[in-house]
Amino acid sequence: MTVDFRRSGLLSRRSILGLLGAAPATAALSAAFPGSFRAEAAGSGQLNVYSWPDYFSTGNLEAYAKKSGVTPNITTYDSNETLFAKLNSPAGAGFDIVIPSSSWIKQLADKGLLQEIDHSKLNLASLDQDLLNRDYDPGNKYSIPKDWGLLGVVYDPEAVGGEIETWEDFFKAGEKPGVSGKVRLSDSGWETIGPELWLQGKDWNTATPDEIKAAGERLKAFAKHVKSFSGLDPNQVANGSIVLAQTNNGTARAAIGLNPKLKWVVPGPFSELWVDNYAIVKNAPNVDQAYDFLAYQLQPEVQLEETQYIGFPAALAGLKEKLPADTKNVDIIFGGKDLDFKKLTSFVVNPETIGTYLQVQAEIQAAAGG
Amino acid sequence: MVAVETIVGSRSSGGASAGAVAPRTADHLIASIPTLWLAIFFLTPLAFTVIFSFGRSTFGGVELGFTLDNYATALSGFYGATFVRTVIFAASASALCLAAAYPVAYFIARHTTRRRTLAILLILIPYFSSFLIRVMALHMLMSRGGASEIVLNALHLHAGPLDILDTQTAVFIGMVYAYLPIAIVPLFVVLDRIPRPLIEASRDLGASPFKTFLFVTLPLSRPGIATAVLLTAVPMLGEMVIPKLLGGSRGVLMGQAIASQYLQSQNYPLGSAMAVLVLIAVAVIVLALARLTKGFDEVTA
Repeated sequence: MTVDFRRSGLLSRRSILGLLGAAPATAALSAAFPGSFRAEAAGSGQLNVYSWPDYFSTGNLEAYAKKSGVTPNITTYDSNETLFAKLNSPAGAGFDIVIPSSSWIKQLADKGLLQEIDHSKLNLASLDQDLLNRDYDPGNKYSIPKDWGLLGVVYDPEAVGGEIETWEDFFKAGEKPGVSGKVRLSDSGWETIGPELWLQGKDWNTATPDEIKAAGERLKAFAKHVKSFSGLDPNQVANGSIVLAQTNNGTARAAIGLNPKLKWVVPGPFSELWVDNYAIVKNAPNVDQAYDFLAYQLQPEVQLEETQYIGFPAALAGLKEKLPADTKNVDIIFGGKDLDFKKLTSFVVNPETIGTYLQVQAEIQAAAGG
Repeated sequence: MVAVETIVGSRSSGGASAGAVAPRTADHLIASIPTLWLAIFFLTPLAFTVIFSFGRSTFGGVELGFTLDNYATALSGFYGATFVRTVIFAASASALCLAAAYPVAYFIARHTTRRRTLAILLILIPYFSSFLIRVMALHMLMSRGGASEIVLNALHLHAGPLDILDTQTAVFIGMVYAYLPIAIVPLFVVLDRIPRPLIEASRDLGASPFKTFLFVTLPLSRPGIATAVLLTAVPMLGEMVIPKLLGGSRGVLMGQAIASQYLQSQNYPLGSAMAVLVLIAVAVIVLALARLTKGFDEVTA
């Protein structure tokens, strides 16, 4: 059996959708035509899912339709911001299940857009306990982990001239001749400024706007070494046009698959864990069907199939051992051999600071010139 | 819109119908439908944008009011510089596009006879595919180990790997490529409408081909130039896909900044204020160029 990690390459939603920047059109449209994009009128025996594109195994969906007699009606978005804007408008009515990332759970819940999840209806015991009860949603009141990924670094040890263990190593390596000008940084403010905040012993979720700005100064000075802030194409790292890159484990695995001399690391002292979650919309018209679907999704064999389909690990405990033995670079799927979940932190969007992160990120990208 | 007008105009107005005809009631009726459509679906959202731009942001919402703070922010320091950079970017990309389009349009208008429909068609056909796909295709062509690298190496014009992707050069190549057809069409239309006798007269009176071009063809093609600049510079002001895909998102432009305010920061008022400023810039360009486009009527000598 061959494993189809189709999303870990160019098709990874975090790279390609980031590249496209198609979100504004969707948001503008939904703002201009409230109601026109509404999911079909809900009744019993229906399920309306609002999710990232191609984020459910088609095999699982067919099996669920056969089992329950209900074909989930899936509508897609391409950013958490679009999801938020849609649910926060009249056009958001009619959805049952949404898939927000860890960073947006709090904002969605605070706005009263999600309903509390009844844990008695679901079996969370089979899930990886490291992924439950995390800072972004204590007690998993509103969210059940679907799949997850990391912020790390993929690099060419030869070009970089050594190992990278911390974010300090990352910044130092980027300044070296031969590496400078071949560096890729994330286009998300917290993923570029976060590493410097962690080096300074600060938490990216509690840092004040002034602290964020101060940490951003290092990145602005570093910007001249950066080649790209756009979504990372694994081929660019594999062929050497980029030798040091911030990226997620899925893209890194695709690059290493193309060029085995590359390395992947989740640098210290901290790095990011992002989790995409199942959540139930506040006024979901088909709540029972939603629980039925979630219970189905959390079954081990379904989780395994989801992992193989989307290329990022589902939340099932002991998933690594259950994957086929011939799966290549299996460690990187799970972030590396000795991943310590205590050294991972999830970003939570906060209205007080998000503007600062984005403003400083824009300044960093501008400082990189063009 | 202007391009459509000019194309239609060039086909239907065989000289005789160029004069003004008094509009009839039926015409008014037909015109009222698109006008109403625009009023509802274009002016209303625009009005919201303007109203929002004077409000205060509540993450994902707007508290209506009257404050000029958003405009102060949008014009100050970083965003002011971004605004200026965007205008310079659009102006230079548009100028490059014009420089590339003029010779092509000139050639088609002057040196093709039966094949001109084919020529125009060949220029327009790629335009029917998605903008994104065309830019992604360029991305592949320009990447390391891509077709451009192989060809340049084979021709000994370049040695070794080609690192053009994620540079300003790649962005400008992409901009010219993507906007070329909409620059060529209005130029072709206007060049095609310059009466041959005028050129012949100039030659007969002893002007060199160069002088004829400089003092007859070029001034008469002014409206086409204005339209081409208008049709390329205006969308270029809001361009964000090409800098992202081909330029590595370095050097932030206004389109990106506005999208980021609306979506990521959920700061509608600031995003709106920035959008209104871009709109004003566009209006200024349009007004300036509209004077030149008026020349269309005068061409039919």
